[in-house]
Amino acid sequence: MSEPTNPFGTIFISKRAITTIAAQSALESYGVVGLAAKNLADSLAQALVKDPALGVTVHYDGGQVQIDLYLIIEYGLRVTTVANSVIESVRYHIEKATGLVVKQVNVHVRGLRISNPD
Amino acid sequence: MSTAEFYSVDRQQLAQATTLDGQGLKTLVEAALTWLKTNQQTVNALNVFPVPDGDTGTNMLLTLQAAYNEVANSGERNVGKMAHAIAQGALMGARGNSGVILSQIWRGFARGLDSLDVMDAAIMVRALIESRNTAYKGVVRPVEGTILTVIKDVSIAAEQALAETQDLNLLLEQIVQAADVSVKHTPELLPILKQAGVVDSGGKGLFFIFEGMLRYLKDQPLETATTTVMPLAAMQLEETMEAVEAGQDFEVVVDFRPNEPLNLESFYAELSEMGTSIQVGEGDGFYRMHIHVPTENRYLPIDYTMKIGAVTKVAIENLRAQMDDLQHAESTPHLQLTHVEPGQIAVVAVSPGMGISQIFASLGINAVVEGGQTMNPSTEQILGAFENLPTDQVIILPNNKNIVLAAQAAASMTVKKVAVIPSKSVPQGLSAMLRLNPEGDFDEVVAEMNEAITEVESGEITVATRSIEINGVSVKEGEVIALLNGQLIAAQPDLEKACLALLEKANTADRERITFFYGQNIGRAEVNRIVDIIRTAYPTHEIELHEGGQPHYQFILSIE
Repeated sequence: MSEPTNPFGTIFISKRAITTIAAQSALESYGVVGLAAKNLADSLAQALVKDPALGVTVHYDGGQVQIDLYLIIEYGLRVTTVANSVIESVRYHIEKATGLVVKQVNVHVRGLRISNPD
Repeated sequence: MSTAEFYSVDRQQLAQATTLDGQGLKTLVEAALTWLKTNQQTVNALNVFPVPDGDTGTNMLLTLQAAYNEVANSGERNVGKMAHAIAQGALMGARGNSGVILSQIWRGFARGLDSLDVMDAAIMVRALIESRNTAYKGVVRPVEGTILTVIKDVSIAAEQALAETQDLNLLLEQIVQAADVSVKHTPELLPILKQAGVVDSGGKGLFFIFEGMLRYLKDQPLETATTTVMPLAAMQLEETMEAVEAGQDFEVVVDFRPNEPLNLESFYAELSEMGTSIQVGEGDGFYRMHIHVPTENRYLPIDYTMKIGAVTKVAIENLRAQMDDLQHAESTPHLQLTHVEPGQIAVVAVSPGMGISQIFASLGINAVVEGGQTMNPSTEQILGAFENLPTDQVIILPNNKNIVLAAQAAASMTVKKVAVIPSKSVPQGLSAMLRLNPEGDFDEVVAEMNEAITEVESGEITVATRSIEINGVSVKEGEVIALLNGQLIAAQPDLEKACLALLEKANTADRERITFFYGQNIGRAEVNRIVDIIRTAYPTHEIELHEGGQPHYQFILSIE
């Protein structure tokens, strides 16, 4: 939970809200074709209940947000450039929407999707 | 053909050809690259997001440059193999989001050509369709109104044009036209573009790539940018000038309605005889022309536009005089910041007002960042304040609860040794400053300063902007409220009652000195009257008065 305060009260922003922003901006980034479960347990759970938080974990401590993204990227693109764009875009959207300081965005490329073998 | 003997392409031959081989494609890419380079800044100027895609023009240019470098020395005649090599270069050199998409467009194009020796119009259309399909496969949620939309519209237009022509030149002409229409339509699809009054930058970059190829075939120059008429909102007339260059003494802006459709080429040519920094904007049927001219030419642009249309508005500004004013204004409230030596401890303070900055400066801070309750500085601003100081030991005084986090973030982004003293108010920051020993041991100084902020009480006096009840205090809009160490403790009808209520709650018996910093929203006479009342009420305390210059808060009090 995050709490930028003002003299008249406190604003709580849940991890889930941040997760949604991160997932949306990642999926809108060019080159990202999907989010992936970060481990087996998650992927089994995903088979039962569709969870929008799949592939995104948010850590929050002392006012700083750290985000881990587990992504599938389109085969044939420069992976590092795509990852950098995702990092910038996710950081930008979270900071713009919530005013929180994003300390770190880590991208874990979980796989590449081959839609057109060359 | 021996490897050293490169195949060179004759422009005229190429313009008349019905098919294109590898060398022909390479020549067209070179033309596109040159034209994109010429228009790089035009594309960069279209950016709306400050972060996600830095400089689209530069990114696309570097990507296309990498693509061309891959084939620059290649004598390959097979157009398919050439396209694959270009795609490979684009992939390796892809920069930024737009660069990645461009590399994907090339990849699709190469796939469409497969390993054909030459391409004709039909094959080129097939390749463009493959470009579009491949580009769209790279994203789950395509955002329309971007470069993706432009490649889509181009491929559709090319397919339609194929029914009428088999000529590569005519096809390319249709493509350029479709790209132009598509780019101009992007603000209708993407609201943020419309808000900013610009077209999509990546789409515009792609347009320049196609247009560069066409211009080469038509033997039009590629090194000089043509005038482009931009929407009025996109004109950057208020850019701050670093310095007035020779021949830029006056800025002339003229709004006019041309009598006949404006011939941009000749209009631009006439204007460039008179001055520099020419911009032309269009909106609601009239044109706006902007130019920088030397003193002797200052009426020429007006006379000239009067000849070609009805002038509705003229604005002339003397840039030289403006610059002088600006330099003068900057020098007046100059802060005497202490110069830091390598090895010393530097201090950066966040200050809400000029007066408080002066006081911090007199105590020996080395950099100041403007900011306070309602204007929190960004991490970058704080980082920027100390990153260039010639020492690697830095202390930050945020002086506001809401800025502590940004300061800590700034501290984590540098290689310097940085400590954030979590001062939640200006008085805390000032009392910490009194303990500074720039030559001292970093950890000891930090510990001292951390201790100092606990030994001072801070008070703030301001006017409530709305009615509310907190901490058991009921506040009506317009009442004066007193905050002690950030907590609301009293609401009173006037300033002096609020000050007295504040000091009553503060632990004044154990303190010796009360310092008032008065804000920009209170007159000096009023300040003196209130401070006199306080002096009478607290005769044994030392009462100090300083101009703080902070916004919103009539008073900031330090009780120590």
